[in-house]
Parts: sequence; structure tokens; C-alpha cells
Amino acid sequence: MKPLLIAACLFFIFLDSRAQNIYDASLIPKELTPYASAVVRDAETTIEVKDMDNVIYHVKKAITVLNHNGDDLARIVIFYNKNITIRSVKGVGYNEYGKPIVKFGEHDFLDESAVGEENLFGDERVKHFIPSITQYPYTIEYEYELRDRQSLTFKPWEPNSNDPWRPDLKYGLAVQNSSFNFICDPDFNIRYKEANVPEKVICSTNHEGKKVYTWQVKNLKALRYEPFSPFIAANEISVRIAPEKFSYYGINGSFNNWQQLGKWEYDKLIKDQETVPPATVQYVKELTAGISDPKLKAKKIYEYMQQKTHYISVQVGIGGFRPFPASEVDLNGYGDCKALVNYTKTLLAAVGIDSYYCVVEAGSPKVSLQHDFASMDQGDHIILCLPLKNDTTWMECTSQRIPFGFLGDFTDDRLVLACTPEGGKLLHTPKYTIDNNLEKRTANFTISESGELDGKMETVFRGVDYEDRESEIGDSRAEQEKGVKKTYPINNMVVKKLVYKQDKGSSPVTTEDISLSAGEYGALVNGKFYFSINSVDRRISVPPRVRNRVNPVRINRGYTDEDEITYTIPKGYHLSSDLLDVKLDKPFGNYTATMTLNGDQLVYKRKFQIRDGMYNKDVYDDMIDFFQAIADADTYNVALVKN
Amino acid sequence: MKKILLVLSLFLAALEVSAQDFPYGEVDNNALDMKKYDKDTSAHAVVLREYGTSRIILDNDDYTKVVFEYHVRIKIFDKSEFDKGTIAIPIYNGDNNVYEEIRDITGTTFYKDEKGLEQKAELDPKQVFRTKENKYWTTLKFAMPAVREGCVIEYKYTIYSPHIDNFHSWEFQSDIPKMYSEYQVHIPGFWTYNASLKGSLKLTKNVAEVEHECFTFGTAKADCSHMTYGMSDIPAFVSEEYMTSKKNFISSVNFELVQYQNFQTGATTKYTKEWKDLDYQLKTEFWFGGQLKRKELLKERIAPIIGGMTDSMAKAKAVYAFIQKNIKWNDFYAYGSDDGLKKALDSHTGDVADINLTLVTALNAAGIPTEAVMLSTREHGAINYLYPGLGNFNYVIAKTNIGGKTYLLDATDQLLPFGVLPMRCLNDKGRVFSLDKPSYWIDMNTGQREGTTYTLDLTLSDNGKLKGTFSRYSTGYSAYEMRQEIKKFNTEDEFIENLEGKLDKVKILKSSFDNLDSLNKPLGETYEIEISAFDNLDHNKLVFNPFLFNRMLTNPFKLAERDYPVDWGMPSDERYILTVHLPEQFQVDNPPQNLAFAMPDNGGKFIINYQGDNGLFVFSNVIQFNKSVYGPDEYPYLKELYNKIILSEKNELVFKKKS
Repeated sequence: MKPLLIAACLFFIFLDSRAQNIYDASLIPKELTPYASAVVRDAETTIEVKDMDNVIYHVKKAITVLNHNGDDLARIVIFYNKNITIRSVKGVGYNEYGKPIVKFGEHDFLDESAVGEENLFGDERVKHFIPSITQYPYTIEYEYELRDRQSLTFKPWEPNSNDPWRPDLKYGLAVQNSSFNFICDPDFNIRYKEANVPEKVICSTNHEGKKVYTWQVKNLKALRYEPFSPFIAANEISVRIAPEKFSYYGINGSFNNWQQLGKWEYDKLIKDQETVPPATVQYVKELTAGISDPKLKAKKIYEYMQQKTHYISVQVGIGGFRPFPASEVDLNGYGDCKALVNYTKTLLAAVGIDSYYCVVEAGSPKVSLQHDFASMDQGDHIILCLPLKNDTTWMECTSQRIPFGFLGDFTDDRLVLACTPEGGKLLHTPKYTIDNNLEKRTANFTISESGELDGKMETVFRGVDYEDRESEIGDSRAEQEKGVKKTYPINNMVVKKLVYKQDKGSSPVTTEDISLSAGEYGALVNGKFYFSINSVDRRISVPPRVRNRVNPVRINRGYTDEDEITYTIPKGYHLSSDLLDVKLDKPFGNYTATMTLNGDQLVYKRKFQIRDGMYNKDVYDDMIDFFQAIADADTYNVALVKN
Repeated sequence: MKKILLVLSLFLAALEVSAQDFPYGEVDNNALDMKKYDKDTSAHAVVLREYGTSRIILDNDDYTKVVFEYHVRIKIFDKSEFDKGTIAIPIYNGDNNVYEEIRDITGTTFYKDEKGLEQKAELDPKQVFRTKENKYWTTLKFAMPAVREGCVIEYKYTIYSPHIDNFHSWEFQSDIPKMYSEYQVHIPGFWTYNASLKGSLKLTKNVAEVEHECFTFGTAKADCSHMTYGMSDIPAFVSEEYMTSKKNFISSVNFELVQYQNFQTGATTKYTKEWKDLDYQLKTEFWFGGQLKRKELLKERIAPIIGGMTDSMAKAKAVYAFIQKNIKWNDFYAYGSDDGLKKALDSHTGDVADINLTLVTALNAAGIPTEAVMLSTREHGAINYLYPGLGNFNYVIAKTNIGGKTYLLDATDQLLPFGVLPMRCLNDKGRVFSLDKPSYWIDMNTGQREGTTYTLDLTLSDNGKLKGTFSRYSTGYSAYEMRQEIKKFNTEDEFIENLEGKLDKVKILKSSFDNLDSLNKPLGETYEIEISAFDNLDHNKLVFNPFLFNRMLTNPFKLAERDYPVDWGMPSDERYILTVHLPEQFQVDNPPQNLAFAMPDNGGKFIINYQGDNGLFVFSNVIQFNKSVYGPDEYPYLKELYNKIILSEKNELVFKKKS
């Protein structure tokens, strides 16, 4: 017995020494595994500014993949281009026990264009790879180096939301250890902006006498998706760095605030791009001759630009920051947002109207430039501002359809940077309020005894809702009809007439006019005649409940829906169900749905409002109850019986 | 025969003059002033004319090439179709300096300027961009200058391709209507292609003629057959939901290389031939037969997996699971393993062919006779039965017979049960190949089904809540889909948390899974639940809708009629059985009537059944579709069946207090 025991002990000691492999998956603290598909075991990102045109990124990372959902979180993705070169890549894959099983290098990576189909051209490329390991959990450890030839922008450090370039993979990543070093000469001044950073930055000097800033995080749980969260989650950590003096692919500059940055952008990137041929100058002068109001002049020119140009993205030249010359847009009739804004601005200048080239972060979530932190990596779109006295007017220059002075939900209600000859200015784009954003529907339907629905319906869209039918308007008639049938859940719908109208005035309005019929809308079941009270504006999807919510509730944009449907019901019937009468009033929204019957006229009225703002996270459950009550009321069935 | 040919060619020589490209740049005022297209007034753009030609030439570099010239003129009425002015041409990178190239891109935009004067803008050749997408493809892109409402764009380009076996096909139909589209091919007698037409539209021009000595190489000369395919007034293609690849329905002409003759020796090489020739060829190819022969390699690898097993079925399942778990799919489709099985096994990654040819070989190595089945996935389109050819296929799976039963296997997905195929494979027919038998067709409509049964047993308690159990039992493909759903979460608890979050009025008190990881068995989920149905029981009447989950609020079929079949890939069966125990003081006031709706030819049915006793009732329904594909003639019944479902779901029961 004894010798056996000894043998077993030896064996265990042997095993034990293996178990001390640092990437053994069992060493991951248990509290980090909930909601995690992968865990960063140890990561260190170092940015070293060797020179203003020589910046080295050194990335080292070990990440354990817990299950197949984590494969994509661990995938190594390296973007590069002509100016950002990959210097070295190598790595090792480990099994569950932390034993190395596979090595890899740059030659294993797939190399692809990173330019979307929608772009005409761009020079961004990507190399990506993940070793194929079939047993979970496994760990990959890798390290690579990039060299960038500019010091104007630095990639932010975002330790628990994975790769900053892939926001789609924001969830499911826990972090054991992660650190970030920024190294530069003592005279290279920086400003930084931290978000949700738990520990203070440590500043030191290294053996070469360089400044070192170090941030570190430990034991972060995985982020989870929570509906109605702020754009940056409450537990999403980031550090952004901006230089004072910099070199941008041969152009030098310095800034400490938006004023100086905007000035540099205007002077170095925009100013020299503002020429068009004399014939075009002459033409716009003729076009606006006789108009004295500068706003009307601008409108005329804007509409000329819209019919002459369209948006095509071309990302060449210096990092996508400098617009193409106005003369090129004039010739080709296309350009990206920078080029089209610069062109419009140039045409306006030709008739003596000043306007501002404005940098904005575009998209439906309202994201402002950070008022207290100027940096070049904020904003991804350009719009034009016409600074008229008491009547500042904004223009989106990439759409041929959008009305003059209308921004829609793409760039509304946020801080943007106007780059002017006097310097940068932060301006706020207009807000479309809960009452501005209105979808108002009026319908008159007749329901026959055989269950056929027949009638017409008019819907008016205002505010950001103005653009709700934009894609349908561009479709062929057959596609429009398909669209309508999807939008309105009325079975057996036959579209008899469908007309869209748009009023592109200062408060633009879209009107949808439909005549329709639908067989079997009402049905005699079990002696009762049933039909849905609301088949035109149903809110049936209720966001899921979330246990242990972390984020406050954020409603990005407020809006109002109003519906009034008058049904003429078949003669000789009376109501068998209770009248619908729902009223809900909450800080974040309100809802009423009522029904009245007068002879054979059944009138249904519905109003729904949701109020934008930031609410305490505890409000979330209340909000789900609110949506559920609405879903119930919206699917109410009318029951009629014969007199 | 020769005489007739001669006469024919003389006769056709006269026609030849008309059968050529339309003149570039001759855009008249009518085209510029055109406000809409009369035959489709809702069109935002229309192809005025489109012309293409393919010919085989001997290029300067001494390679024979297919030269494809494309020329089009498009009227753009409004902004919605401005993207027709941005053109992307994919070209194949190829290897060994043999690559496709584009020459002679010319483009012009014709428009009327602000003053109503006719203008034209030429495409700047410097504005043609080349992007290397990846190892295989490069895209050439250009944007036509000065595109605006009412303009006419015209462009042409020529592609030189060394891939003689990949002769350009021609799609007559696109998402915008065309007034006229014509394709001409010139094929020297050294090559023989089969041409086939797809789609329901008819050619308005179809001419065959002979061109004398159109191809010379040294002293070798050949006549060409010159084919012209023309079509006028082509409507835009409108796709429908639940259809397979639109390629199956778009009107097009396609070519398959049959054979070619060496110019010098005169020796003929059959390219596409009869299936028996292909069978032979495949056997000798490294990427197919070469891999199927590697039984010894696989024997070694699977020995530990099947050691001690005697039962074929057990062995087969063990081998299948081994391949599923040991080679991760890299998301590429293929029917041949270019890098070989060994590399796939060693690197644990591979494309469809790497994985499934390994599976075929491994099963054979285990002593279970298995064949490979080449097929065309749903998006790849239907098989062309007229001409044998590998161009039909883009995917390969395994087929084995155990105990007199056939099993089709695809090991690319770790969650697929043994004998269940992913949806993408359920298309048309597959061709079975092996090392020792002639190949043959099998139907990919495999009899695989999806089935889900929901069982609820609930008791209405005094506080108005319905308490009891809810179980979902998924079989066949449904079990696979459900497992995928569950595995999206890191743990079972996270799945349940999510499920509960979505079912707002339902609290899940306890849960258990049966066979979650036993892929070959049906998946069972059992939940102990509590539904907040009523606030209390102090009412005389309680209204209750027995369709507690998955209520179908709208008919998925919205078109009045269809042009193309509804293709669901497989039959399905959904059952719902609800038992409710009522408190003593309540009874059901208006029991629903039983209903049975059946489609013709046992195509499908919808049944509602209600049985009630004093304090208890059982409400059940069945939705069954017995076919994978429903033709346009069956569409009205399909639509009606859904109407019946939706109408019956309006049905509400009333629990009435006994007086």
C-alpha cells in the first residue's frame, strides 16, 4: 500500500507543478465568470511617442476563452494602412491547464481590405487570426507592435470593452489584470480624459528619463447588454489621450482646447480646399441674383448642391481628415461628407455668405463632443452651419432629399465643433422635442358583417419622424406596397391607393395616404364577432427585464404617437366586451387608449409619449410594466354580439 | 451537312451587320428628356440598352483567354437609383501569374445642365480604384461623374480571363427594368460549351450562325459558332419571402465547358462530360479522390475513439462527434479539399470539404461504408440537370448506410445531431460520389423535420395566478435550433434569466433540461412557472386567451399571389396542449368549437381541440406542414391556413362564476 501512496503523491506533485501554469483556467477568480465568455488574464498596452512622427504601440495580451461565444472576443484583429505598419506579431495557444499547444505568427493571419462595400475606395486594411483550439477553456497569449507616423490621435485604452474598433463585441469580457502605459519625452505634454477609471493614474520617470503615465485595472466583471443604457455604460472604462504639440503626416500643430484645434483644422486642412471654377461662381451668383435674404440665398444654393451632387465615400489622403477640393466635387458631382460640406461652404462664400464646417459624432444615439476635452478622434461626420443672427441654420450635405435646415435624428441635439478662421467653437445642434416628433394617424374604416375592413388612413410624420418613410419613398411601387403590409399588421390587406407627400418647408412634414381593404378582418367565432381595435400602431415588443441592473435608464429621444380610428361597425350589433379605457402616466412617458361607441360609430383614440432623459436605474422595472400594459392594451380585441 | 452549314452562314452573314454593339455615346435628346419608363412608371431607373459579348482569343502573352466586353446605357430618373452610377467589378486574383484583368474602362454621363444645355462628363481613368479584398478577390470600383436626376450614364469595359472553364453567364433581369439586353458569344470550334437558359422570360432574339476561320493559332484554324441571345422589355425582378436563391428565377443564360481540342495535336479533352467521366476524374484529383483514399491516416486518428466498439451505429456516431469537435469550420464553402485532410486535422480548422471529406474517410476507415455527396446550397441555386458538371456544386457532405437506413451527415456544426443537415444543405438534389461506384442523384429533401410540442398543466389558484408546469419538447431540426439558442448563453442559468426577462408575466420557479448535450435525442425543457393571469378572483367573469405563448398576430404571407414557390426546406409540426384546472366556483362559459382545416393533398393542417369537464379543460392545437416546398398554386391554401390560425387566436374563453 505504502509504495503506491508515495507514487500517487509524486504524481500529484508533478501535476501540481503543472497546475501552477499561470494560464491555467482554474485560476480565474470565480466572481469573474458570470456573464463572461472570455476573461482577459493579463494585458498591457504601451504607447510610446519616440518622436512626433514615430509612435510605437506595443500590445501584450493573454485571454482565456471560456466557451465558443468567446472565440470572437479573443480573435486578434489588427488594423493597418500605409502609415500604420505592423512590426511584429507572435503568440502561443494554451490548453485548459495552461500548457502551450500551438504557436503562431504573422504569416497565419488573414489579410483583408477593411473598407466597407459602401466606400468607393479606402486604404484601411485588417489582419486577423485566432488559433483554432477545439477544447474549452483555452488561452491565447500574443504580442504585437505597430508603428504610426503621426502623433495627433492615439487609440483610446478600453480594457473591458474589448477592441475599441469593434464596439459590437462590447459584452461578455471580464478582466483579471490590464494596464496601460503612455511613454513620452518630458517636454511632450498631454491631456487625458478618463471614464469610470477605478484607480488613479501613476506618473513616473523611466530609466531613459522619459515620462510614464500608467493606468491599471483589476478584476472587472463582464459588461452585459442592458436596454435603455447610456451610450457609454456606467462600468465601461476608457482613457483617451490628446497631445499638445503634434505632427500629423507632415503637418505640425499644437492645441490645448477646442478653439485651437478648430483653428488648426481650418487653417491646415480646409482653407486651401475652397476653390471652384469661375463659371460655377458666376452661376451661383446668377442663381441667387435678386434674392436678398441670405437664408433664402443659402437655400437656393443648398438645393442646387443637392441636385448636382451625391454622397460617395472615398477615404484616401491624410487619414480621412482633409476634404477633397471643392473644384473636384464641382467636376465629379460626388464626394464624402467633408467634400460635400466644403463644396457647399465654398458656393455660399461665392455669394458672400459665411458658414461653418462642423465636426459631429453622427448617429441616432446623441453623442456630444466632450466640452472639457479637445481631441481629434471625436466626431465622425461633417455638417454645415449657417450662423445667421438669431436663426442659426444647419445643413446635412450628404443627402439629396433632406430639406434645407433639417438635421433629423442623425446629428440632432449634441455638441459639435465649428472650424472657423477665428478658431474652433463648440455649438449645439437643434433639439427635436417630444412634441416635435409626432406621428399622427387618422383612419376611417367600415367593417362589414362578413368581416371585411374597408377605408382610408392618413398618417402625418413630423420632427425626426419626417424621415420615417424615406426608404419607402425611394422604392418602386411594388416594394412600397410590401413595406406598407409589413408596417401595418392587417391580414389580407389590399392596398387600393398609396401616396406619399413631403413638405420640405422649415418644419418638414411627410404624409402617407392609404386606402385599403382587408377580408376576414373581423371574425365570427363562437357566436361573437371579434376584431382588433388597433392594427395600425401596436407596440408589442416589451424589452426584457434585467436582474441587477447597473446602468441608469436613458431615453435618447422623446416622441409622440397619436392615433384616432373611427370604425363603422355592422348594423344590429352591440358591444359584448368592456370598453377599453387605459390611462398610464409616468415620469418617462404616458399612454391613453380609449374607446367610445355611438350608434354604429366606434371611435378609438390612442396617445403614446415617451420622454427623453436620464432616469434612475430603479425606474427600469416600472418602465417594463408600462410597456407591457401598453402591449396588452394595443392587442385588445373588440367583441360584438348580435342584438 | 456541310452544304447546309455553308448556306446558313451565307444567309447569316447578311444579318451580321445588325448583330453588333450599339454605338457608344450616341445619346439622343429623347433619352435625356425621358421622364418615366412607360412600361413601368414606378421605375427609378431603366436600362436603355445593354450589350455583352464573350469570345475566346489568343492574347499577346500566348494564353487563350475569354474576353468579355460589357456595354450598358442606363437612364436614371431620380435619386433613388443614383447608386447605379457606382460600379463595382469583382475579379478573381488567381495564382501563378494567371489572373483576370480589366482593360478599357470608359464611362460617360450625359445630362442637361442648369441652363438646359446638353453636357457630358467623362470618367477619369485615374478615378478607377482597385482594392484587394482578400487572397481571392480584387474589386475594381468607379463612380460615374456628374450623376444627377434625369441623366443617362453609359459605360463599357472588357475583362480578360484565363479561366476558359468559367465562361461569362448573362443575367437578362435585374432590380431595374431593361428595354433591351443582348448577349453574343463567339466560340471557336476548338471549344464546346453547353448553353442553358434559366427563368421564365422568353428570348425575343435567338440566332445561331457560323463565323468562318475566326480563330487561328499558327496553322490551326477554327470556325466559330456565333450565338446571339436578346430580350426586350424585361421587367424588374421582384423577390418574394421564403424563396430560395433568386438565381433560380432570374432569366439568364449560362455556359458550361464540355470539351476542348488541342490546336496542334487535334486531341480532344473532355471537360464536362458524362457523369462517368467525372466520376473517374474525381477519383484521381488530389482534392477529392486523393483525400478519400487516406484511410490509413484516419485509422490512426480514430482508433482511440472507436476502440472496443462493435456496433456500427455507435462507431459512426463516435466518429461523427469526433470530427465535429476536432475541426472547427472556418466559414468557407468548398467541395474539394485543396490543402488536404491532414492539415485540417492538425490545425483543427478547415472548410466544408476539409471537414466532411475527413468525415467520409474516417467513417470508411472505421469500416462503415460512406460516400461523399456534392450539393448546391440554397443560396447557390438549383442544379442544372441538362449538363453534368461540377459547377453545379459548392458544398459536400457525407452519406452513410447503417442498418438499412441512410444518414446524411455534415460535421461543420458542433450542435447538429447525427443525420440532421443544416438548412443551407436542404436544396434540390445532391450527387453521390465514391471511389468504387458510379455516381448517382439523391433527393436533398431528406425527410428531416422540425417538431415542437408545448405542454402546459396549470392550476388557477385563489390569488389569480396560474401555477404549474410548462414544458417544451423539441425534435429534429427544432432541437438543433433550440440548442443553438441556449448555447448563445454562457450558462443555462443565463439562458433562463433571459427567458424569464422576455416572458413578462411569467415567473420561472424551477427549471430542468433533458438531453441538452445528447444531440441525438430530443431536447426537453421543463419549467415550473407562475403566470400572473388575473389580479384576483373576485370577478364574475374572467377573460382568458388560451394561446399563452407564440401568438401569431399577423399572417407571414402578405402577397395576393406568388410567382415563386414557398420553400421552407423541411416539413414542420407544432403542437400545443394546455390543461387548466379551475377552482370549484368557476366554469368555462363559452367553450371554443373544435376546428380542423386541411390543405389539399395532405399538404398541411390546423386543428383546434377542446375537451372540458367540470373543473378541468384541455385545449390543444396542431399546426402541421407536410411539405418542404409549396408551389404558387398551393399558396392560397397556405395563406388561408394562417388566416385560420390568426382568427382562432382571437378566441377568448370566459371563466364564469357558478351562481
